[in-house]
Amino acid sequence: MEQKMIETLEIKNEADIIRARVRAKTIAEALGFNYMDQTRIATAVSELTRNAYQYAGEGKMTINPLNKQGRRGIEIIVEDHGPGIENIELVLKGGHSTGGGLGMGLSGSKKLMDEFDVRTRSDEGTTVTVRKWL
Amino acid sequence: MLKGKTQEPIIESTVLIDVDTQKLKRELSTLLEHNAEEIRSQWIKEMQGQGLLAALSPTEIEEQSKVIYDTCLLCLKTGSYEVAQKYVASMAKKAVLQAMTVDQIIAGLLILRDIYARFIFEWYQKNPTKWRNVNGIYEPVARRILNIATQAFVAERESTIKQLQQQEVAKLSTPIADVWEGVIMMPIVGVLDSARAKQITESLLERISREKTELIAILSIGGIAAIDTQTANYILRTVHAIKLMGSEMIITGIRPDVATTLVTLGIDLSGIVTRSTMREGLEYAFDKLKLKVTKTS
Amino acid sequence: MEKPSIPILKSGDCLITSPQVALHDKLAVQFKNDILQRIVETKAKGLVLDVSAIDVVDSFLVRQIGEIAAASSIMGGHVVVVGLRPEVAMALVEMGFSLEGVHTAVNLEKGLEVLHKIWRR
Repeated sequence: MEQKMIETLEIKNEADIIRARVRAKTIAEALGFNYMDQTRIATAVSELTRNAYQYAGEGKMTINPLNKQGRRGIEIIVEDHGPGIENIELVLKGGHSTGGGLGMGLSGSKKLMDEFDVRTRSDEGTTVTVRKWL
Repeated sequence: MLKGKTQEPIIESTVLIDVDTQKLKRELSTLLEHNAEEIRSQWIKEMQGQGLLAALSPTEIEEQSKVIYDTCLLCLKTGSYEVAQKYVASMAKKAVLQAMTVDQIIAGLLILRDIYARFIFEWYQKNPTKWRNVNGIYEPVARRILNIATQAFVAERESTIKQLQQQEVAKLSTPIADVWEGVIMMPIVGVLDSARAKQITESLLERISREKTELIAILSIGGIAAIDTQTANYILRTVHAIKLMGSEMIITGIRPDVATTLVTLGIDLSGIVTRSTMREGLEYAFDKLKLKVTKTS
Repeated sequence: MEKPSIPILKSGDCLITSPQVALHDKLAVQFKNDILQRIVETKAKGLVLDVSAIDVVDSFLVRQIGEIAAASSIMGGHVVVVGLRPEVAMALVEMGFSLEGVHTAVNLEKGLEVLHKIWRR
């Protein structure tokens, strides 16, 4: 018997990046993640929301608590309507920095989380979905 | 079921042949289906009256009560309890519910059982024989469902307790030894999987962060049988993390075959200080601390 | 000079700073610039950066620290990062960062010791 708690946050400026990661950390803690995982989650959120803000000027973050056959987790979706990411595979290999951070942030968040998915199109923008399980 | 009183009904119900039982079962199912809304709202009302639903939202109450009601009916109709078992198992796992405690859930189910029984009685009271037969169909189902529910919760609780116990044992089995001022040691014996490695490193990290001075931690893995890539990587990352915190962790007891495996797997051991024996590890630590062990006189 | 939003103290030949607030990007860049300016002004030979109050360090902050270290090194100085929280250290390592170019120590006191040891060489 769970409430569907969906948190959505608009990323419009830098303070929102901080707000986003604080929110993610709080929810992670409420879901039962320990302080190590809370930091991993908050750091991934910081990277992803910053990418959205820096490359698209705006973004939206959604936090969904997960419950799959009794296994709990957290899902975070960061989407923007920016220019998309070129050479996504190269970027994910880490280190390919077009503006000095996109690559590191993306591959970094991939390493911190259990599941990682990125959809990007030059005419639509980018949506990154990450998940971590308890 | 009191012995004296059941003599008569039992004789009477054995007179029924299976076709009739099936017919009666269908009749009962239809009855409970058609009156679902009325019975269900009565059930909710009584649960609320007992304060069992205080922590739930109206939507949740609607949804969950419907699911439970339909699941119970399904058991009655089909004689199969699989769906009920699955549902209850998943309910039990959901951290034994933030919204309701186990006793509250059982209490809720008991109320439902009573309400069904009451309804059946009121419907068939003009026909005592029929009522007894219908009851004979209903009661085993109700009992079975409650049995499944309680068993699931007990099983879940037992598994949670077991997990906690294992964690506690794991903690005890890998204590951090204060060897000397500024030197701590963690000897690991047995199986080291990534779950245990995580737990060990987290307690190490916590200890190091609490300390006001830098520490040299000696992780002795000579006593472990084997190590997988994921675990090895995790430990190595911990070494680097401890370095970032201003302390140091060295690893002792890496057997030659383990070392070869690690290198073959391409695991980067650069920047990691290792020693073959715990003793050499201690020598390293004392050396770093500018300490020397000498014989007196 | 405008007063830096995060205080930077001078102790002998080194600077000490300990940010207590969450560093959003603009603030982080300003912080870096303030530090670099102070190093030039005071000709400090070392900087102790106390990050014990920081609960999340991501690639952006790592980059600022790296730039501080690089610039400081050009001027002949050294940077010691102290008080890194275990969960932050672990996240950094997992992401693949190593904070090259900086020394690390457990706390402020040890950080100053490290600097003195380096200068004595």
